[in-house]
Amino acid sequence: MERTVTVVPEDGLHARPAAKFVETANEYDADVRVAADGDDPVDAASMLAVTSLGVASGDDVTIVAEGEEAEAALDALEELLSTPETEA
Amino acid sequence: MTTTQPDIETVLTRELIVLEEPPAQKEACIEFLLDRAVETDRVTDREAALEALLAREEEATTGVGKGIGIPHAKSDAVSRPTIVFARSEDGIDFDAMDEKPATLLFMLLVPEEGGEEHLQLLSSLSRALMHDDVREQLHEADSKAAIEDTITEAIA
Repeated sequence: MERTVTVVPEDGLHARPAAKFVETANEYDADVRVAADGDDPVDAASMLAVTSLGVASGDDVTIVAEGEEAEAALDALEELLSTPETEA
Repeated sequence: MTTTQPDIETVLTRELIVLEEPPAQKEACIEFLLDRAVETDRVTDREAALEALLAREEEATTGVGKGIGIPHAKSDAVSRPTIVFARSEDGIDFDAMDEKPATLLFMLLVPEEGGEEHLQLLSSLSRALMHDDVREQLHEADSKAAIEDTITEAIA
């Protein structure tokens, strides 16, 4: 299954949002891949791969998940990308 | 993304490639790489640049895994887009999620007014480094020229 999400955090898929994204992708029993518009999907559980996408705030990404917890993984990742970064 | 990426040849010149072993501690290594950018007149305010680099590490590590560290900052203290490269024989603990010590180090510095240039460079560099053969070639390169060629080719 897959889902297209607009990246809300100001940093884009970079710095803390990227770290959280990769951590979250690693938490589920699912194979998760992520693609920036039109590009080939890359391993969402790899920081290097996610950084390579160069996704800025406001860009769309497509997340593809397969496996037992695919839906839960997509839900968590969508929420993360849809939430502006708060002061932490 | 609409910003044009600066030419890699102007961003990573031979004088920005370091063959000496960097310090084994992450912070000392960051200072070591920054010093090269300062010595080559690409950074006007060392302290401000260091502060920006460390603030970025504080937010989330730039140890992106597969033995790569990409400390980076966008700052007024930087006069033009710059990549400093060094290798570590021993590896440096960069707090990477895959827990692999960083052996290939790229410091990326861009001026504050660079807009998305920052993300673009980071993205191109990361994309190049995802290839196993590029990382191998960087480890095996025996001269600054060989390193320069490998990076230039991989990013082009």
